[in-house]
Amino acid sequence: MTGRRLVSLFAAVVLAWLCAAANAQTIAIVHAKAWTMTAPTPLENATVVIKEGKIASVAAGDPPPGGTRVIDAKGRAVTPGLIHPATHLGLLEVSSATDTVDSGTKASSLGADFDVQYALNFNSALIELARADGLTRAVSYPTHSGVPPFAGMGALVRLTEPGEILESAGVGVFVSIGNHRGEADASRAAQWELLRHALDAAKTASAPAGTSAGGAVGTSAGSAGRSPQVLALEPVLAGKVPLAISTNRESDIRQAIRLTRDYSLRVVIIGAAEAWRAADALAAAKVAVIVDPQANLPANFDELGTRLDNAALLRKAGVTVATAVLSGIHQSYNAGESLREGAGLAVANGLSYSDALRSITVVPAEIWGIAERCGTIAPGKDGDLVVWDGDPLEPSSAPLAVLVAGKEISLVTRQTRLRDRYLPKAGLAPAARREP
Amino acid sequence: VTGGRSKERLVTGGDSGEREVVGQRAVRVLLVAAALTVLGAVDSLTHTASAAPRIPLPFAGDPYPSTYHPLLRADTLIVGATVLDGAGKRIDDGDVLMRDGKIVAVGHGLKATGGVTTIDAHGRWVTPGIIDVHSHDGVYSIPSTSDDSDSSDVAETSDPNAADTWIEHAVNAQDPAFSAALRSGVTTLQILPGSTPLFSGRSVIVKPVPAADVYSMKFPGAGRGLKMACGENPKSFFGEKGRAPNSRQGEIALVRAAFLKAQAYLQGWRDYESGARATPPDRDLKLDTLAGVLTGDIAVHMHCYRASDLTTMLDVAAEFGFHIRAFHHAGEAYKVVDQLKKAGTCVAVWSDWWGFKMELVDAIRENAAIVDAAGGCVMMHSDSATVGQRLTIEAAKAAAAGRRAGLNLPPEHIIRWVTSTPAKALGLDDRIGTLAPGRNADVVVWSGDPFSIYTKADQVFIDGALVFDRLKPSRTPGPDLLLGRPEAPTEVGP
Repeated sequence: MTGRRLVSLFAAVVLAWLCAAANAQTIAIVHAKAWTMTAPTPLENATVVIKEGKIASVAAGDPPPGGTRVIDAKGRAVTPGLIHPATHLGLLEVSSATDTVDSGTKASSLGADFDVQYALNFNSALIELARADGLTRAVSYPTHSGVPPFAGMGALVRLTEPGEILESAGVGVFVSIGNHRGEADASRAAQWELLRHALDAAKTASAPAGTSAGGAVGTSAGSAGRSPQVLALEPVLAGKVPLAISTNRESDIRQAIRLTRDYSLRVVIIGAAEAWRAADALAAAKVAVIVDPQANLPANFDELGTRLDNAALLRKAGVTVATAVLSGIHQSYNAGESLREGAGLAVANGLSYSDALRSITVVPAEIWGIAERCGTIAPGKDGDLVVWDGDPLEPSSAPLAVLVAGKEISLVTRQTRLRDRYLPKAGLAPAARREP
Repeated sequence: VTGGRSKERLVTGGDSGEREVVGQRAVRVLLVAAALTVLGAVDSLTHTASAAPRIPLPFAGDPYPSTYHPLLRADTLIVGATVLDGAGKRIDDGDVLMRDGKIVAVGHGLKATGGVTTIDAHGRWVTPGIIDVHSHDGVYSIPSTSDDSDSSDVAETSDPNAADTWIEHAVNAQDPAFSAALRSGVTTLQILPGSTPLFSGRSVIVKPVPAADVYSMKFPGAGRGLKMACGENPKSFFGEKGRAPNSRQGEIALVRAAFLKAQAYLQGWRDYESGARATPPDRDLKLDTLAGVLTGDIAVHMHCYRASDLTTMLDVAAEFGFHIRAFHHAGEAYKVVDQLKKAGTCVAVWSDWWGFKMELVDAIRENAAIVDAAGGCVMMHSDSATVGQRLTIEAAKAAAAGRRAGLNLPPEHIIRWVTSTPAKALGLDDRIGTLAPGRNADVVVWSGDPFSIYTKADQVFIDGALVFDRLKPSRTPGPDLLLGRPEAPTEVGP
């Protein structure tokens, strides 16, 4: 018993460290239409028990254990907490005011080693809104660095409340390749070459002593002297974290596939507007994509082939597909809401409903290597769950309850506070609190 | 002298004092008309020739008339649909009859007579065509390249006063955005210049029919509009260049100065009209536009976000006696609903855009719902070719936020936000926006509830012509840009 208590205590301490105000309360969600993401159909009348921050059980018709707080979903949809595969959450506040933006750096020598973890602002108003919209995890990535085509390293964030959101840093190295009009060395040939040269240099510098005869230009031999850029690229070369390439044109997508083969990398492509033209090759190379289901107008010549059924065509070919609205402001300002709207639109354009729901939960978890702990509703997984007031893929739906690490978080945001301040001034009754 | 009163006098005219100078005036009418004919303003000539008391002020004509002709149309009866008429009514299992390009009847049990095509719409929904009151389709270059300046063709940014620019002179009829809008149920768009200049330029109202030039799309006989802008955009753009304005107060000063000049310009034309001066004022294209605002001939559509910017501009409008038809974006409209109502000014808003600039930090998703529930005039707008393909989803999101705040917003009500209310804002509510008999037959048959993300526009009619049919998409030509590009291997259906 003492041992078990110690384990519980340890778990609680870890949990508290993870999400500041966590408690070990047990919560049971009953009468749920549970999209476990472990099956293509939902589990009806499900009881999901969350203990000490983790999912303890999920089963149809189970009575909730005694002494637990019960959330009655009344037959409504319950999903894993949404996971945004590619956002800038925590790195910007008012994007037009550049002094509130930390997502990129130009005037520095930082390249692949530009690490956004140090900038994450957990008090950002964007984060509380995303969380109230059902987003519980996200990969926040840099837009650009001083050494193109590198943008830098992304961070995995968990939208705990309140406090620290960084879960792990350096979850991927991001590059951006393609139509960079008006910039020096704009040729995409140069962009691919610079990337390849950097990978070659890192490979050489990282090779065990004796094998790197002559060494590589610009790097010093020996582990102690390896440059930050080399250190950033080592996990990519080792296949431990993905190289995330923002690119859209078919020729660049095929270059990314070549790169995958030449260096034995794990590659994920962000944007991938013309990916449907290379669907079979992407599937064969096991290159995952993060596509924007709203994209159907070519913002530039790289995207001439953009089309609404990109996600559906890619899935049909067996490609791993995450979805996210990547253009405009929604990628960060409405990170939770737009994730669902995009997935819903993908369904309207041929993606199956379960694939669409997977594309914003378990697939991003797989892409970023965290599927062993989140993205599904299964025993042992994180207690990150959302109870929805309707179809989660309908933009007009919203969460009734959001659990992060087994704790029900507040759905109050700056926006609801403004609403409740001005409703009476407009002669209208204050809003009722949302209840499941 | 306020513009509103002046307009009244010019339009009604005809008291005995004025009749005395009719003969004298007629000579001037001909002189001015001759000058205008040179400029191509035939429209104004024909109008004024038959209504002698009205002087053809140089800003009253349209030298760039529409050449739009409705596409080949058939009389059509839609049966068994859930009909939202755009005026606030929902008719379950309803029928809509279109004949000669007009709505003839809406109701139950309508019968098709000879030569009428019948569409079975059981399980589907029917609404008026969607109207986007704020679009940059055709001018925000797609695809964008380094051939275009930073601002694309969306605005002339060399001067904070671009009132002399007409956005129709830039519209690319082959912009893929038009085709995308049509395929999503949009039947009318107001193309506005961008909000960098204070006086951003004239707007144009178009129908997104496949066309090679903008005049083939231009809504015949539609009123004219001026886009204005306040707040961050003008002051930051010009301020950063070391030019005026670089502050909000500087913006207002420039706007007031411009309207003072316009008042004098208008007075000059009136003096010429009354014979008090022998020669007309020198034409000034900027002042033409602003004088048209003062007479009420040109509707003002104003980009403004912050509550204090909205009320300041209402005061400026009151000072010079013009009316602001609608504030666009208006993220803080919910804070000043009473003032907006009092001025009779509408707002055109997004459902959920917020935060990306300082004046949008307080925008909330309940904005539209609060303005509506408090009795204000509100509609959705796009400002984006992407959002413009899903204006009903904008309405759905805005209404959902309102419902969660306890407000009652059924589908038959919120459809107005994307149909009859923008029609009113464009001064076209006598022609479009509702399914009332006599209105243009701009009709959308939806695959289901238009407020669902899964729903698509199945058939889109403009003036009774089936301009897009999702079952026969190749009937509607796509944009020239995509002609001869690699095609998709297969179509994936929903």
